[in-house]
Amino acid sequence: MSQGPILELRGINKSFGPVQVLHDVAFSAYPGEVTALVGDNGAGKSTLVKCIGGIHPIDSGEYFFDGERVHVSGPRDAAALGVEIVYQDLALCDNLDIVQNMFLGRERRSGLVLDEDTMEEMAAKTLAGLSVRTVKSLRQHVSSLSGGQRQTVAIAKAVLWNSKVVILDEPTAALGVAQTAQVLELVRRLADRGLAVVLISHNMNDVFAVSDRIAALYLGRMAAEVKASEVTHAQIVELITSGRSGELGLKNGNGAAS
Amino acid sequence: MMRAGPSQEEIRKHNLGTLLRHVHLGGPTSRAELTSLMGLNRSTIMALTADLTAAGLVREELPKDTGRAGRPSLVVRPETARVYVLAFEVGVDRLAAARIGLGGVILDRREAARAREPFDMAQVVGTLAGFARQMRRKTREDTICVGAAAAVSGVVRASDGVVRIGPNIGAFEVPLGEELTKRLALGLPVAMGNEANLGALAEHTRGIGAGCRDLIYLHGDVGIGGGIIVNGQLLGGYGGYGGEVGHMMVNPDGRPCACGSRGCLEAEVGEPALMEHAGRYGEMIGRDAVRAVVDAADRGDVMAQEALAHVGNWLGLGVASLVNIFNPEMVVFGGILREIYLGSAAQVRSRIATGTLRATREQVRLRTSALGDDATLMGAAELAFAQVLADPLEALSRVAP
Ligand SMILES: Nc1ncnc2c1ncn2[C@@H]1O[C@H](COP(=O)(O)OP(=O)(O)O)[C@@H](O)[C@H]1O
Ligand SMILES: [Mg+2]
Ligand SMILES: [Zn+2]
Repeated sequence: MSQGPILELRGINKSFGPVQVLHDVAFSAYPGEVTALVGDNGAGKSTLVKCIGGIHPIDSGEYFFDGERVHVSGPRDAAALGVEIVYQDLALCDNLDIVQNMFLGRERRSGLVLDEDTMEEMAAKTLAGLSVRTVKSLRQHVSSLSGGQRQTVAIAKAVLWNSKVVILDEPTAALGVAQTAQVLELVRRLADRGLAVVLISHNMNDVFAVSDRIAALYLGRMAAEVKASEVTHAQIVELITSGRSGELGLKNGNGAAS
Repeated sequence: MMRAGPSQEEIRKHNLGTLLRHVHLGGPTSRAELTSLMGLNRSTIMALTADLTAAGLVREELPKDTGRAGRPSLVVRPETARVYVLAFEVGVDRLAAARIGLGGVILDRREAARAREPFDMAQVVGTLAGFARQMRRKTREDTICVGAAAAVSGVVRASDGVVRIGPNIGAFEVPLGEELTKRLALGLPVAMGNEANLGALAEHTRGIGAGCRDLIYLHGDVGIGGGIIVNGQLLGGYGGYGGEVGHMMVNPDGRPCACGSRGCLEAEVGEPALMEHAGRYGEMIGRDAVRAVVDAADRGDVMAQEALAHVGNWLGLGVASLVNIFNPEMVVFGGILREIYLGSAAQVRSRIATGTLRATREQVRLRTSALGDDATLMGAAELAFAQVLADPLEALSRVAP
């Protein structure tokens, strides 16, 4: 728990044309911990995640991975580091089955060609290792899965490929209560296995249920990164809505960097 | 006078039990791993394994796929299909029984709904004994039952299995252990324990808290039970009644409790409180009722949201006290508290953040049960396996067919 961050961003700036969306953002994720990334709609959460994933190039700022300065200039670079992102609009192929999806775009670098049986066994082991029992057949098309099961497959894919950081952008937004509970428990299990997990959610119960740290973005600025055990619901809500709460947060109300 | 050290026989008994426990909890384990786990030499491990194999408790096999060159170490696996215990549960809304194999595998299970009426010994014992008979009839000839235990929603005297008080099952001073033992006629006593204590045991041995030394398990049924593991041991207290956190007072002027007191944690957080705050009292009962409230809250029902927040506030207050007193490594929410915690975690953790010493809370991990609905039955199974794990050969000789 007291290890340093596996992922650390410093001074990230990002603009779309004339509009600056991220201002001097710092953000860290730690092995074995769930870091919740919270903020109002439009605060820049998805943009930050896409910068981490190499989808958007950053204008300036530093990206450290495992203590080393790295340059991520595309999704491949992020994947090579072991950063897996489960986007809001899930990147699963509906017309492929679960096993095929879990291996999609991941021809083994070793050059080993895997046969179908081996792939199925690896997929089954991964799901079992995560105590996932809700999926009936690994050969069913992803299109036949519920929202929660799709999230589960996307998360399991991250585990199968030995990711070190898994980022989930609002994984429970479209789910009912029972499926949300399962995804939250899966998120927690992932971190308990030593991965660094970043969870974006608007639901404060979800955030408090599984997080070790909470990072609050306000108008494209990082208002605070705090330990979840040291803050209250009211403080987080204040950080989200006004960028500050008592001693916490941005030093001046209009969101200028302190 | 100097005490003599343990005899050879005692050492052997201890080692047999330790080895059996390793494979019971850890699953198939290679001889090489056992050698290093137990700090004994290879020939001792071989001899112990041979004894347990001869007794029919374990089996040795070549590992399926080692992927390595050289002679593979034999794998010792529990005789799950052959050696089993019977585990029972007397919950508020269900009577359940399971046949659980060595290694903690549920081989068979039965369940019946229980009406929320005063305790009816004949009905409870009759139902459970019926389940046991059905399950035993289906077993192979060479299987062997090495123990039996029941998890009860109530305060249980371990020595004789009397349920001293089970307010939510309407039981007061009922000799359930004795009756069950008589009716089952297994030639073994049926051990008895409180459901939350046994849930704690299960989560601690093979659930979310495996490897935790200090853990608190909170079990929500209608009320709230607690099991406290301190330094790896279940906290029993003088009479074995310890851990009744459901009756920890959190609100002196609060709601009346089934125990006769007022403002107990379970009175403020239990199912009736939640249902009443949500304006749904009497609509539904049990787990489905709680789920319906959490579901309604998720869909934007303000009254349901407020009910959860209210209950979460008291839950957090109770957990905060437990965190200050016990400084646990983990607090596990089981039974209906899984749903309640997930649906009110913001309140629960806010209370813990403001109501505990930083030193006592900074390491505590809050988790939901990994064993879910099986936690209490699995805990009863662990209790039932206790004898055979303590002294495998002796326990077996007593039950051998
Ligand atoms: N590709 C884009 N082009 C232009 N503006 C964008 C783009 N993506 C996001 N934005 C803008 O950036 C801001 C932050 O958006 P986003 O990162 O999606 O916020 P969040 O995920 O916190 O709701 C919004 O004002 C949004 O309109
Ligand atoms: Mg977004
Ligand atoms: Zn009480």
